[in-house]
Amino acid sequence: MLLQCSELSFQFPQAENPLFSGLNCQLPSPGFHGLFGLSGVGKSTLAKIIAGDLNGFSGKVSRDDLNAVLYSSNLERLPGWSSVVDHIAKVIPSDRRSGMAELVESFGLRDYLDSRFSQLSLGQKNRANLTRYLLQDFDLLVMDESLANVDEATRELIILKIKELFPDKYFLYISHSVQEVSKFCDTILVLRTFEKTPQIIDVAGCNYRQGGKLDKKCLEQTMLEIVNAS
Amino acid sequence: MKYQKIFILATLLTLCVCFFLAGCGKKKEQAAEVLNYRLKWLFNISVAGDLYADDQGIFESHGLSVAVKSGGPERDAIKELEIGRAQFGVASADQVVRAIDKGAPIVVIAQLFQVNPLQWIFRQNNLAIDSPEDLKNKTIGITYGGNDETIMRALLNKQGSLADKVKLFSVRYDYSPFFTGEVDLWPVYRNAEGIVMAEKLHRQGEAAGFFNPDAFGVRFVANSVITTRRMISEHPETVQKFLEALLQGWQEALDPRNAKQTIDMVSRYDKETSRQIIAKQLDSTRNLMLPPAGKSFGWIDVASWTETERIMLDQKLISSPVGIEKNLQQITFDSSQ
Amino acid sequence: MLHKRIWQFLLIYILGLGFLFGLKYLLGLSDYVIPGPMEIYQTARYNSGRYLVDTANTLSVAFVGHLLAILLASLISIIGRLPNLAGAMIKTAAYNLQAYPIVAVAPIIFILLGDGLTSRLLIAAMICYFPLLLSFIGILTTPVPDIEHFYITTKRMRWQLEVKIRAFENITKLTTVIAGSATLAMVGTIIAEFIGADAGIGYSLRISLYQSDIGKVLVALFFIGIFNSLYLATLEGVGYFIQKKLGISREG
Repeated sequence: MLLQCSELSFQFPQAENPLFSGLNCQLPSPGFHGLFGLSGVGKSTLAKIIAGDLNGFSGKVSRDDLNAVLYSSNLERLPGWSSVVDHIAKVIPSDRRSGMAELVESFGLRDYLDSRFSQLSLGQKNRANLTRYLLQDFDLLVMDESLANVDEATRELIILKIKELFPDKYFLYISHSVQEVSKFCDTILVLRTFEKTPQIIDVAGCNYRQGGKLDKKCLEQTMLEIVNAS
Repeated sequence: MKYQKIFILATLLTLCVCFFLAGCGKKKEQAAEVLNYRLKWLFNISVAGDLYADDQGIFESHGLSVAVKSGGPERDAIKELEIGRAQFGVASADQVVRAIDKGAPIVVIAQLFQVNPLQWIFRQNNLAIDSPEDLKNKTIGITYGGNDETIMRALLNKQGSLADKVKLFSVRYDYSPFFTGEVDLWPVYRNAEGIVMAEKLHRQGEAAGFFNPDAFGVRFVANSVITTRRMISEHPETVQKFLEALLQGWQEALDPRNAKQTIDMVSRYDKETSRQIIAKQLDSTRNLMLPPAGKSFGWIDVASWTETERIMLDQKLISSPVGIEKNLQQITFDSSQ
Repeated sequence: MLHKRIWQFLLIYILGLGFLFGLKYLLGLSDYVIPGPMEIYQTARYNSGRYLVDTANTLSVAFVGHLLAILLASLISIIGRLPNLAGAMIKTAAYNLQAYPIVAVAPIIFILLGDGLTSRLLIAAMICYFPLLLSFIGILTTPVPDIEHFYITTKRMRWQLEVKIRAFENITKLTTVIAGSATLAMVGTIIAEFIGADAGIGYSLRISLYQSDIGKVLVALFFIGIFNSLYLATLEGVGYFIQKKLGISREG
């Protein structure tokens, strides 16, 4: 499996300048990858193009065997007419019920399942939304700030759990935290403005896993590379 | 507290508007150079004389500037006279009686129709209605609340138990119940839609008959010219001139020698009706309006008015006698003028 | 909510009467133009029972007509939201048809359907139908991307779900529009009765106007106002109850 973007160019209709100009990037193997960049640089737009949610670009996005590419974000909501558990239960295959229980437990949602989505805190909302995506059939899941408003410790727990449960899947995690992407991601795509060439620089992350040992030197080095690249 | 403030503000506003309107009303009446004349109905054959007086400059020749305004179902000349928006108007007798019953300061100065044009059309091929007795077991259209209901009830009551032997049918816009035979007698203005419906029947090879309650002793007055008591007391000459011009207009409009001119004029205002129909309407109108021998045009038939009042009293449309004769003022003219 | 509506109406009614009495006494108008308080009281005494039944009759027709209009507007707007030719045609027809004044069409309806219940129902429904339809189309054609995205991306979106999401997200707007159109349904029924029917308060109003009896008109208006306020308050109450049940908080 391979995700590859070749010579991607894109410009919003009313914009003066292109957002992407001849952008190239790739994710060669499954894993928890990161997409990092300064605000407004086009992270969400690139993620939507990769997920197939946005058209109107030139260039090519090859997904090879990545049949199911999903894009999730922290802006999404669950409908409000019934409880969170009812909604999630309705949108997952029956054989994933046990998986649901495990995720709910790990994500700290057990006590809030019977609440309506609107009654949850922002962090709980993001976790509930992510839970239903993780229980779908997917090859690549884009997580666009999907853990925003979640405290650092819980975020770490969730990311490690995801890495543990879905080792064969692609993840593209968008975050503004240099330390977070450096620590947990396998490859970090550092997206820059269109004037810079190349527009994306690949940085190797520390890819920290549950039970593993974090190499502090690696972390510092990665963080430095990301900051320099962006 | 909030409601209290709103209430006080709204009350003040209401009073301001009242004072403003009160001022306007008086000013209008005092300074009225143009006389407003509110008709009872839309411009058609029924107002031919009113239009004629305006069209042929008869009002002007009497030194008057008159704005002839069309009426309609939502217009009420009596209310406009009281408010001061009109100085003269046309109202039906029942309107006049009701208004006087409620203290309206109005006076009838001329009676336009000598025979009430409100009659019932029937298909002569199927029916022979020569007397009220012939109404037995027939379905009769009436407009509930309308003049025709009052007239028909008066006729039925006059015939003793006839009321129990007819079926009344609520009439609206749709004439089809008459044409399909569901209703035997349909109320029409004999000189207006009566002619149109008769023509329609004629085209189907049928003859139309008209049942006229007036012929069987139900004297119920139709349209008359009215003004206010104040107008008569403060501007008697204007009233005199206006009425003289108006009645001249009517007489000339109905004069067979002026028929072409009248038809041309009505055609200009009533574009929906053909000239042939208007010609027939004019003949019919003439028959209904011309006074009996020895009486002048616009003659007020006091006996008919008293009968009208009695009918309304019988039917509890007014609570007590109003003495209608005190509100009828036949104005005479110097024949040398 | 109920008492608020009733008080609002009573305030307006009393102010209206005050205005009329003010005019009457300032301009010295007779009881024929504006009846005095005693006459209105007497008229109310003798006619209240009949007008109460007439207004209840009108309200029942308005209610059914309103219900019909809501169902029809829902159905048409569900089709009208489709991004295809049928949807475009329905939308165009809906926008153009609303330009026809129902009052002009009403006599034709009475000719075709007679002056019974069907005509009253149809006219009531037609008068409140177009505002409902336009709002419903507006609501159902506007996507709610932050909720719908998941269902689209996971290929779970069905038209029923799409309608449900959009309706639920706009439930406050919907209840306001439905409650607002209730007045139109009442007005529509009264107009229908006034023009051509043979029952209801509109019919009684027409007879009162034939007889130039403004006292009866004022009494009839009182009952219309009270019943309309009751209907509005009931609809708003139902809307509030539904929103409360669904856990939707009211803003503002």
